[in-house]
Amino acid sequence: MKRVQLQRWSSTVLSPRARTVSRLHQHLYGAGSRCQSTASPLQVDSNAQSNLGDASFEDVELMKHVRSAHKRKGNLKYPSPPVDAAINSAKLAALHARLYLPSRLPPQTLARALVDASADPNADFNNESLATLGHDLLTYYTTEHLLCTYPRLPLTVIFAAMYAYAGPKTLAAMAREWGVEHASLPGGEVDPGLLQFRRVEPGTDIDATPNARTPRPYAAQKAWRMTVTSKIFYDDEFGDAFKGPATSGEGVTAELASATFVRAVMGAIYLHAGRPAAKRFFEQHFLSRHLNISELFNFSQPARDLARLCARENFEPPVARIISETGRKSRHPVFVVGIFSGQDKLGEGAGASLIEARERAALSALKGWYLYSPLNVRVPSSMEEEGAASWKPVYVDLGEVIV
Amino acid sequence: MFSRSVLRSLAADLRWSAPSSISSAAPLQQRACLHQTALLRTSQQETQTPYSPLSPETPLSATPRVQNSQPVAQNPPRVPSSDSALSFVPQTRADVPTAKQPVAPSFESPIQVTKSLMSRLPHLVGQSPHYVVAELHARPYLLTEGDHIRLPFLMPKVKSGDILRFNRASAVGSRDFTMKGSPHLDERLFECRVRVTGVESEPMRIKEKTKRRQRHTKQARSKHRYTIMRVMEVRVKTPEELLEEGAVVIEDSEDTPTIEARQ
Amino acid sequence: MPVKGIKTVTAARNGVGAFILQCKRLDFHYCNYGGSSRGMLAFLTQTLPNFARENPQIEIRVSPRHSKHPIIKGHYINGREKSICVRNLEPSDILSKAMILKDASGEKLKQQKKPVASLNESVRGIWSPYHGDLRGV
Repeated sequence: MKRVQLQRWSSTVLSPRARTVSRLHQHLYGAGSRCQSTASPLQVDSNAQSNLGDASFEDVELMKHVRSAHKRKGNLKYPSPPVDAAINSAKLAALHARLYLPSRLPPQTLARALVDASADPNADFNNESLATLGHDLLTYYTTEHLLCTYPRLPLTVIFAAMYAYAGPKTLAAMAREWGVEHASLPGGEVDPGLLQFRRVEPGTDIDATPNARTPRPYAAQKAWRMTVTSKIFYDDEFGDAFKGPATSGEGVTAELASATFVRAVMGAIYLHAGRPAAKRFFEQHFLSRHLNISELFNFSQPARDLARLCARENFEPPVARIISETGRKSRHPVFVVGIFSGQDKLGEGAGASLIEARERAALSALKGWYLYSPLNVRVPSSMEEEGAASWKPVYVDLGEVIV
Repeated sequence: MFSRSVLRSLAADLRWSAPSSISSAAPLQQRACLHQTALLRTSQQETQTPYSPLSPETPLSATPRVQNSQPVAQNPPRVPSSDSALSFVPQTRADVPTAKQPVAPSFESPIQVTKSLMSRLPHLVGQSPHYVVAELHARPYLLTEGDHIRLPFLMPKVKSGDILRFNRASAVGSRDFTMKGSPHLDERLFECRVRVTGVESEPMRIKEKTKRRQRHTKQARSKHRYTIMRVMEVRVKTPEELLEEGAVVIEDSEDTPTIEARQ
Repeated sequence: MPVKGIKTVTAARNGVGAFILQCKRLDFHYCNYGGSSRGMLAFLTQTLPNFARENPQIEIRVSPRHSKHPIIKGHYINGREKSICVRNLEPSDILSKAMILKDASGEKLKQQKKPVASLNESVRGIWSPYHGDLRGV
């Protein structure tokens, strides 16, 4: 217990401002203490080691111990672990192997992907740039998969499906399933195999962050109606408003930091191993997850929507008919109602009252329409493969029903 | 003995739908069919296996390794405690010598499909999702994609991460169509792959054994171990694929797999 | 707005696409003095480097535990851990115990009746008494 407290004390004693200043200082005056190249050792450390070497200790083991302790202490001045620590981290190597990452992706990059911007505000050492790239790739692959596989999905359901496949909650769950552990506090001395981020102070309201980044005009007017179409233009991929800028002084939630890490891994694979590897990674880790899209619909008035849909598609107006029933006079009646358009049965549903059964039938008819999926779906990015067959245009639908 | 072998050869002619697993005399092949699994190996090993016409195009996507565009040897991250620098490629079943690896089945004759089957196959293929009733040691397992299986036994000679292909099934189907074999389907008609994800065990069972007029009780303990798997893929081959693989279309007859529509 | 989307999260299906070994860490504890650790010490020097090389996805820690029996402890991705006491065992037996920990899923041991567990809906649908004609007996 005492030891834990000591460690905490040692890292909290150095305020983040003091560390950034010292780092900025070194950065400006070219001390070169943080190099991306792993070959060049830290200058400060080499000095310290040479000093130690002068004092001749007889015990070699003890010397080793003292040296490593000095080195670790030297790392304390950095907000995130130095680059050369990545090679010696067992956790990082295990994570690399567990994800079957390409060998072209060095452990140093994986270590960088584990450092959140809240832990290390320096853009050269945190994962913000990798995560930006990874996020764009992820959302692109997910979008093209959804749009080509289910061309008739309403936009709100596409938003929900995007959130389910590539939203922060899913990414955080994936990071957990990859066995990524969190460091309790970021710092230069912690194992680079741990996810490092500065946590939110207890008691802060996470939802209260101002929407400073949203480009939507009149965003402050909460009572005003927001159309779905405007969400494409003003909001993010999941149909949510952009959150306020993640400032370096504040902390982030563990969910957000894990999501950023997963995105950064995606970006790192793309940079180091190329497009095919990134696509395979996406297919194996993201698309292989289970999602029942038919459970994402939330209709308010399915019968009305179905009537509008039939009018738009020049079908005959839908008529609900009882297919079978039992126990109309009893306490538990069951009605099976089908919705017909002319001779075609569009859908059917069972319910304890006629209205309920009709609603369910309309719902199944609408889901049958919206969940249409063509055979042999190809996505546009499959054209990037070598020797791909010539592109045939995919089915593009008219869009959802406007009521 | 002689008459039985003659009968068997006759039966082999008749029952073309269940080709080599019954009639063939190759012991290794029968052993492979006993497990009903044709082992898939990593890409480099697959080129060595003598049986190529059925080697699927997908195993690369099935293997967990992300990159394949890079031919250089993998230099995996090592645990720092082991200092010896050995380039080692993590492979499944690497310690099994080549001669003892299970051999994928080879077929003497191309697959024969009836005209009615070919005409109805597009309906079955087009309607997803699919299920398969795979049989393993004469027990049926109804599988769909993504299912978690806990076999009632410990499968020998598999490691976690291995990909197996279940090649004996009595039925493959979708919501409205079912292709039934008699009794089994030809393994070239469908693909069902599973990945071994590990070994689980049950809680220790203690059975008290008593005998009459004796105060001594014996405790019999047992704790069985089971192989757990995950279904990666259940797929019916399209008619075009079957024709590409050299399928021969014949007239309808009895004792052939049929596709039945739902009543 | 005619239809709204419901926000959910996709469920993991380990092994369908990528396969992630559930054992993430193995701790080997030994005692330098005790006789029950003799096999463990031999295992650590002879077998463990090879084992670690074959399983790079497992982090391996070796640490002494004075005057206690040697144990192997496995840490799993679901947060649980399993430990096996390997006192007086030969190195080959210790390797088999390590393999048990490596292959385990980390779940609590349960008696299971049904062999197949599925997230998917029933492919052929659920039987309904209100459909189809009445069959004569």
